[in-house]
Amino acid sequence: MTGPADAGLPAPAPGSGPARRVPLTTRQNLRGHYAGFASRFIAFVFDCAISIGVFELALGAASFAASVLVGTSIHWNRGNIWVVLAFFAWQFFYYAYFWTASGKTPGMVLLGVQVVGAEGGHAGTRRGLIRALAFPLSFIVAGLGFAGILLGRDRRALHDVIAGTAVVYCWDAREARLRSLARHGGTRRS
Amino acid sequence: MIDLVLEALDVNALIERINLNAVLARVELNDLLRRVDLNEALDQVDLNQVLDRVDLNQALDRVDMDRLVARLDIDKLIARVDINEIAGRIDIEALVKNTDLGAVMVSSSTSLVTEAVDLGRSHAVSLDDTLARWVSRLRRNHKGRAGPPGLVSPEEEP
Repeated sequence: MTGPADAGLPAPAPGSGPARRVPLTTRQNLRGHYAGFASRFIAFVFDCAISIGVFELALGAASFAASVLVGTSIHWNRGNIWVVLAFFAWQFFYYAYFWTASGKTPGMVLLGVQVVGAEGGHAGTRRGLIRALAFPLSFIVAGLGFAGILLGRDRRALHDVIAGTAVVYCWDAREARLRSLARHGGTRRS
Repeated sequence: MIDLVLEALDVNALIERINLNAVLARVELNDLLRRVDLNEALDQVDLNQVLDRVDLNQALDRVDMDRLVARLDIDKLIARVDINEIAGRIDIEALVKNTDLGAVMVSSSTSLVTEAVDLGRSHAVSLDDTLARWVSRLRRNHKGRAGPPGLVSPEEEP
């Protein structure tokens, strides 16, 4: 993949400038720049897979424990109000914990994005909790709350605006590029 | 007898009366120079002593360096330089110790997982950029901010 960045020109932050192709590993250090929709969405998909997987495992473990301790196995009905409530409580805990602790859920770690305060500082406990509470609001009305990530000047979703947070890239794209060059250079030499 | 004549003669007065230019005009200098062994003459010259007496700074002050450099064929000069020999003289260990090159080399030796993560993130960034480009076209070159003011310097702003 080639582009202006390969010609020595700095690549723009996604969405911040005129149309340009971003190389596979950009020359620019993206750290601190507003994260785009795709990175955030893919991170969310990973988080869904992880959190739902853990929840299913917990249900399975509870069922197994019941069968061992009481002798009767529990068959969880996904429509059961308690299961639904437990699921939402778990989801809240999952996101609130990671956002207040480090600003990064496991999915976000994978994609190299992080929740920060609107001014760029640590999100903190209060904003992390508000963000986790406001998160479901962005799904309401066909997910219009997420439109701000694509259309907004600061790429903030509804829950970001409510909580006073923003999502930025926290990985060093330039370092990754150098790593890639060193790796492939080494492969060519050997 | 000769000594007596020489003592009686005022040699200086005699020389003053001689028209040296006329004498020199009658001398065939080219013929004379042809008979002189310049190499032998130069062998007798102490060049170091001559150079000691030359004020090189004064000489260099009179040199137009820009004109001198303009006359140099840099490409030809570089072609004569053995880059491999120069590279061989570089103290790689000191370079690694004093620069970020070491960190890069350590990072480059990390696992395939790192490579996969880098690749995934890069693709996601490319997708981000594509989406942002589309939106920018739809919104007639709408430009967003690069990042929060606390994290991105004004120079990085579009």
